[in-house]
Amino acid sequence: MAEALSVRFKKQLKPVHLLGHIILLGVGLILLYPLIFMIFAGFFTKTEFTSTVLGILPIPKAPTLENFKALIVGSTDAAVATYFKNSLIRTSYNTVWAILTSFLAGYVFARLHFKGRDTLFLILLATQMIPGTLAIIPTYLEFARFPFAGGNDIFTGGTGILNSWWVYLLGGPSINIMGTFLVKQSLEKVPLEIDEAATVDGAGTFRLIFQILFPLQLPIMAFIAITTALGTWNDFITPFFYTTSDHLQTLPAAITRLSSVGASPGAVINYPLIITLSLGITVPALLIFAFFQKYIVQGLANTGIKG
Amino acid sequence: MGKTVAQGGRQTLKQAFGRHKDAWIATVILVPMFFFWLLVSGFPTMFGFVLGFFQWVGLADTPKFIWFDNFISFFNNPVYTDALWRSIWLGGLVTVITLGAGFGAALLMNMPLFGKGFYRSIWYIPAVTATVATTQVFNIFLDSNNGVINNILKSMGKDPIVWQYSVGWGIFWIVVYSVWKGVGGAALIWLAGLQSVDLTLYEAAEIDGAGRWDKLRYVTMPGLKPIATYIVITNLIAAIQIYEQVLFITNGGPYGQTEVLVFRIYRDGFWDFNLGMAGASSLIMALIIITVTVMYYNWSTKSDRRTTIPIKPIKPIAKGGSGHGRSTKREV
Repeated sequence: MAEALSVRFKKQLKPVHLLGHIILLGVGLILLYPLIFMIFAGFFTKTEFTSTVLGILPIPKAPTLENFKALIVGSTDAAVATYFKNSLIRTSYNTVWAILTSFLAGYVFARLHFKGRDTLFLILLATQMIPGTLAIIPTYLEFARFPFAGGNDIFTGGTGILNSWWVYLLGGPSINIMGTFLVKQSLEKVPLEIDEAATVDGAGTFRLIFQILFPLQLPIMAFIAITTALGTWNDFITPFFYTTSDHLQTLPAAITRLSSVGASPGAVINYPLIITLSLGITVPALLIFAFFQKYIVQGLANTGIKG
Repeated sequence: MGKTVAQGGRQTLKQAFGRHKDAWIATVILVPMFFFWLLVSGFPTMFGFVLGFFQWVGLADTPKFIWFDNFISFFNNPVYTDALWRSIWLGGLVTVITLGAGFGAALLMNMPLFGKGFYRSIWYIPAVTATVATTQVFNIFLDSNNGVINNILKSMGKDPIVWQYSVGWGIFWIVVYSVWKGVGGAALIWLAGLQSVDLTLYEAAEIDGAGRWDKLRYVTMPGLKPIATYIVITNLIAAIQIYEQVLFITNGGPYGQTEVLVFRIYRDGFWDFNLGMAGASSLIMALIIITVTVMYYNWSTKSDRRTTIPIKPIKPIAKGGSGHGRSTKREV
């Protein structure tokens, strides 16, 4: 054993391997650099950050945890805690729905038999071809002219469901096509005998789905949950374009409003606050990645990234 | 079926349900999902196909059907054609660099290195961060007053550069950001491809006297063809639609000279409220992407039986889950 280990270590010293180590580590650190910078900048107080001449690595003279605290308890110059809470609610909501809908729909297409099943599934997959770009402006118009909502008589007159919680609530229960595809594919590899045995033992459809089949799909469900969670967590488009009220903003939308995109022209950009909010987005995302990276790597290898 | 229920008693109801049990369950599950899908995705998409044919400026405007006028002005206005062209070559450039660098990294990660799981993770980390957040760090680097890069230039006695006034630098930083974000994911997919190549082929090549380079050229490359096409197409489709980094890093400037088509769509739609024109641009973008996708599907179904979206798992998903047992397709 010890001999095998030393052989392994000796192998690492071959020039090719040494070169591999140097490149992978060196470039890897360069790739991490913006995040390292962000984390260091997070320990600055606002006044110190703007007065320091920023070098490659900004090291604060008096490190403070104020910025991190502001994310949880809020701060005086922005409703930081509200943004954080909204991000959290929206992400959990979408993730729970993504798990539920892709599993149930995957079950339907993998296990149930009814007329037109395969055609329906093909149509579903074909709609994936159409890029989301096409629907951005129409979605906005649909929300703005939502019948009888937000002061609309039928289609006009008010703001529809724009700038309300409905913007966030509607998307979740929709069918998750990529997830459905993954679950169907994975369920088809589970032998039918399991279903039969469970039915013979008296399990109904509900129990069969949630107690027997669901636990077998945990890795794929984890992948779907993580991709949905990260996608929603990082998304600024929906909150930024479809809502305006401060109490509806999520972290990414709040950053967008503070950045050169949303700030009035010529205004000094409040980078310390932006850094605080950025940390609020990035740190949880990194934690999710750290804990579940096994599933992400496997999922990517299995499916390829979509979009 | 409703009639049977009405005519018969309890027994027939139960029988009718039993006979169509699968269809019933499917209906209960799929119909609500379909309704929500229609609301947030289906209807807007259909709407997207016709929006470009209307003149519609300002939310309160009554849309007027004007046939192809929006498309005619699209192709006659250099602002739009330039943006379209920029989308295409910028997307191509980003794809080539990302996939090239990713392939190199995947070759290195495929070596029996100590700690390669760690390398894989740190290379992939940029992909999980929010574009909104990380572009802001890039903006701090590029700030004209107290930017990190300019501070370094100044400390070396060189003149600071005002990045925001230069088209070339704007494009440069957009490309750098996109590659930074995409290279890890590309490396992971390439790596999965490399590991799916049949190992016995390498042994056979070694017996035939092939060196490291020969093996790469004659075994790895041909074996990677399906996954290569897949990754090129998916990356290209994503890169043509790049706009978030454009929005946050250059905001289209200077003077709209770094605008890409999807950025233009947002600008038309949400700032200028020229909704008809935004619709026309989105339809053109969508048609390009649909064409590329359809061509790719034709190619992948025609070429040998290996499907290019790896429908066959490259590696078993996990030990506990699946991967054993027979196919569940039963004869109906």
